[in-house]
Amino acid sequence: MTNHVTPSRLLTLGHLYPDQLNLYGDRGNILTLQRRCALRGIELRVVGLGIGDALAPDEYDMLFIGGGQDKEQAPVAQDLYEIKGIGMWAAIEDDMPVLAVCGGYQLLAHYYRPAEGPDMRGLGVFDAWTIHKGARVARSIGDIAIRWNGQTLVGFENHGGRTYLGTAQPLGKVLKGSGNNSEDRTEGAIYRNTFGTYMHGSLLPKNPHFADYLISLALKRKYGEAETPEEETITTAERSNGSLHAHDTSVHRTLQLEKVTGTALPELATLDDTLEWEAHASLLERLGLHQEAEAVLRTHTEHLNA
Amino acid sequence: MPEQRPTQPVSSEADPQPEGQTDPPSLPLHIEYNRRKQRQQRRRSPLRASLAVTAGRTVGALSRRLHLGGGTSIMGIVAQGIYPQIVTHLATELEYGSVVITGTNGKTTTSSFIATILRNGGLRVWQNREGSNLMRGVASSLVIRSHLNGHLRRGGRAISILELDEAAVPQLVKAITPRVMVFTNLFRDQLDRYGEVDSVIGYWKRAIRMLPDSTVLVLNADDPSIASLATGFTGKVIFYGIEDPSLNLLTRQDQSEQHQVIDTRTCMQCGSEYAYDMRFYSHMGHYYCPNCGTRRPQTEIRVTQVKMDEFDRTRLRVETPTAQHEVVVPLPGLYNIYNALAAIAATLVLDVPWEPIATGIEQFKPMFGRGELIQAEGRTLRLLLAKNPTGFNEVLRTLFSDEVSRHVLFILNDNTADGRDISWIWDVDFERMVGQTQAVVVSGTRALDLALRLKYAGVEQEHMTIIPPYPLRAVRRVLSNGRDDRSTTANQSAGLATRSYGLKKALDSALQQTPAGETLFVVPTYTGLLEVHRELEQRGLTPHYWEGRDA
Repeated sequence: MTNHVTPSRLLTLGHLYPDQLNLYGDRGNILTLQRRCALRGIELRVVGLGIGDALAPDEYDMLFIGGGQDKEQAPVAQDLYEIKGIGMWAAIEDDMPVLAVCGGYQLLAHYYRPAEGPDMRGLGVFDAWTIHKGARVARSIGDIAIRWNGQTLVGFENHGGRTYLGTAQPLGKVLKGSGNNSEDRTEGAIYRNTFGTYMHGSLLPKNPHFADYLISLALKRKYGEAETPEEETITTAERSNGSLHAHDTSVHRTLQLEKVTGTALPELATLDDTLEWEAHASLLERLGLHQEAEAVLRTHTEHLNA
Repeated sequence: MPEQRPTQPVSSEADPQPEGQTDPPSLPLHIEYNRRKQRQQRRRSPLRASLAVTAGRTVGALSRRLHLGGGTSIMGIVAQGIYPQIVTHLATELEYGSVVITGTNGKTTTSSFIATILRNGGLRVWQNREGSNLMRGVASSLVIRSHLNGHLRRGGRAISILELDEAAVPQLVKAITPRVMVFTNLFRDQLDRYGEVDSVIGYWKRAIRMLPDSTVLVLNADDPSIASLATGFTGKVIFYGIEDPSLNLLTRQDQSEQHQVIDTRTCMQCGSEYAYDMRFYSHMGHYYCPNCGTRRPQTEIRVTQVKMDEFDRTRLRVETPTAQHEVVVPLPGLYNIYNALAAIAATLVLDVPWEPIATGIEQFKPMFGRGELIQAEGRTLRLLLAKNPTGFNEVLRTLFSDEVSRHVLFILNDNTADGRDISWIWDVDFERMVGQTQAVVVSGTRALDLALRLKYAGVEQEHMTIIPPYPLRAVRRVLSNGRDDRSTTANQSAGLATRSYGLKKALDSALQQTPAGETLFVVPTYTGLLEVHRELEQRGLTPHYWEGRDA
C-alpha cells in the first residue's frame, strides 16, 4: 500500500461471522474501510468474531455483519441472539457504527419468517421484520440506487425475503430497484448509528462517501472531534466487566452524549476518488439516472480540486 | 422453401469427425454394454421423431439464414416441442450410450479430455459442443446428427459425451440413462441464477435417485459436497483425488495462500465445520468432520505426485487399483489436473486401456477459452476463462506463482450468462498480482468495478489501462459543460478524462503493451470470451465457432 503514514489513531472493527456470512463479496467492505483509513494514517484492525466468540463492546469501534446462505444463517441467528446479543445492544445503544448487509440486516430486525420452517429470531434492533413469501414470489435481484442523506448510494441486491419497517427509519428511498419489499420504495433501516441494508456489490467501494461517514462516526465516538487522540474515558473502563445492564447502558449513553453532542463529524483528509465516483456514476447511468450521475461527478470531482 | 438443402452444411460443421469417414478404425475397446434395458423404457414413435427432426432442422436453417443467431438452440426447442421424448428416442440409438459431465468448473475441459481419449480408442464421439449445455442444447446436438426419418446418423460405435449445466441434470436423467456420470466440483457461481450452493446439491441428489444401479458415478473425493453424492446410491461409485502432500496449502507459510474462498465449509451430514489434513484450494482437499467422523473417501484413481515441467506441462503420477502410470497434462493450473484425472477415471470405468488414455491426455488441445492459445501480431494470446471466485482465484494463482511478470487483459461482463452480480470480484485474491504485472488492461461492461477492485488490491492506477465498452454520458457532459469556466482543468487533473472504449481498443491496447514474442493472458468472463473470440475471428485469427452457445 502506498502513502504510508505512521498510524496515530487506531480503530478496531469487529467482523461478525466472517466464515459463515461471507456470501456477497463482503470482503470489499472491509478492504475499503481498511484502505481509506490507512491513507489517513488511521490503523484499522479487523477482528473476526465467529460462532461462540463473545462480543465485548468496549473492544471495538465499528461492527460489520454480512449475508450468508440460509443453511448457515440459522446457527448464526442463534449465536447472535444468545451469545453476542447483549454486547451488540450495548454497542449499538452506545452509538457504535454498525453496518449490516443482507442476511445480517435481517438478523438485526425482529424476525425472519422463511417460506417453510420456523421463524428465525432476530435481535430486534430495527423495528422491522422479514417474510419470505415462497418460491412463487420472485427474488429481488438487480442493480439498485437509493437516495440517502441527499446523495445517492448504489449497489446490487439479491434477496428472497421482504422486509417491512415498523417504526424503524429507512436508510433511504429507492430510486431504482426493489429495496426492502418492492412495495413502499424504502431501502434498509437506521437505528442510531446502525445501518441495515440489502445493498452489496460490495457496498462501500462504490460509495466512498458512505464509507467515510462510517469512519467519521467511529472516530468521533472514540476520539471526539479533536484531531488528537484523547485518553480513554472512564466510561469504557466501567463497561469492561462485560456484564452490562440496561440501566448501565442508559447512564453510559448520557455520558457519551455529553462528550460528543451537537458537533460536526471529524473531517477526513480528501482522497482521489475519481475512479470510485466514475463507477458510482456508471451504475446510476445503467439504471437510467442520468441527472443523478452527472450531479455525482460534478459534486465529487470538483470538490476534489476545490 | 429451403427445406432440405441446408442440412448438409449443418451436419458437416457440426460433426467433429472428418466427413467421408464412414467407419471408425477397428475397436481396440471391448465395451460391454447392454442396451436392451434402455430400449424397453419407452414407446417409440418414429413418425413423430421424423417430424421433430425435420421441423427442428428447418427452423434452425431458417434462423441461420435470417441471421437470427446460430440457430442451434431453436432446433432443440422446436424438436422437443413436437416430440418431447426426442432426446430419449435418438439417444437410445447410440451404441455405446452416454457419458454425462457436470459441476461448476471444468466441465468443458473434462468432457473434451474424455472425448479425445475415446476418439483415440476408436469410438465415434459426439459432444454437445455446438449446442448449449442445457436440455435444448443436448436435443439440438442430437437432431443435427439425425436423418430426417428420425434415426440417428451413424449411431454405430457412437458414444455421446454430454457436458451439462448443473441445474439441467435432473431433466436430462429423466430422458437419458447415462452409463457414467462425472461430477467435477461445486463452487459458488452465479448466485442470481442458481441460487445458493445447497440448491445445486438438491438438483443432483434428485437426479441420482432416478439412476439405475447400472450407471457408474465418478466423483471427486476431494470436494466434500461432491463426495457426499455417493450416499444412498446403490450402484458403483469411483472416487478420484489428489494425494500429493507437496500441494498442501496448510503447510505453506506464504501469506498469499491464506485467503481462499471456501464454499463448502460445514459437514454435509451433521453441520459441523470440516477440518483438513491437506487442503489444495478452496474447500478441495483431505477433509474430515471432527464431530461425526465423516471423512474424504478412499480413492480408486489418484494422483500421488505432481511435477511442473513448464508453465503448461505438468507431469502426474497416477495410481489405479492395478497399476501406476505417468502422464503429462499439457495445460496450466491445478484445476486442470483435476480435469485430467476426472477424464482418466471416467474412461477407465469404460474399460479403455491406458495407452489411448495417456496419448489422449498428452495430445490434448486446449478448448475454447480454456487455456486456448492463439497467435496474434507476433504475440501469443492465452485465453483463460474465469467465471466465478474459485475459478478466478485459480487462474490468478496459476499466473502469479512463479515470480514471472505477466501481461493481462481482463474482461469482466455482467450479462445474464455471466451472472448479473459481480460482487464476487471482491472475494478474488487480486492482491497476489501486485508487482507481478507489466501490462494490465481492464475492460468489459464492469470495467470500472474491476478497476476499483484492482485499486483496492494495491495495483497503481497508472499501471492499468481502463477501457470500458462505452463512454459515460455524465462524464461527457461534465467535461464539455465546464469548458467555458475554470473547472475543466480541475476536472481533468482529477483524472476524469475521456478514455478509449470498446473491446477492440482494449485488445489493441493490450497487444501493443505486450512486447513481441511474449504472451498476453486474456482472462474473460463467459460472454467476454465470446466477444474476444468474435473479435479475433474478425481479425482472421481463430477458427470459426458457432454462435448462440447460451451456456
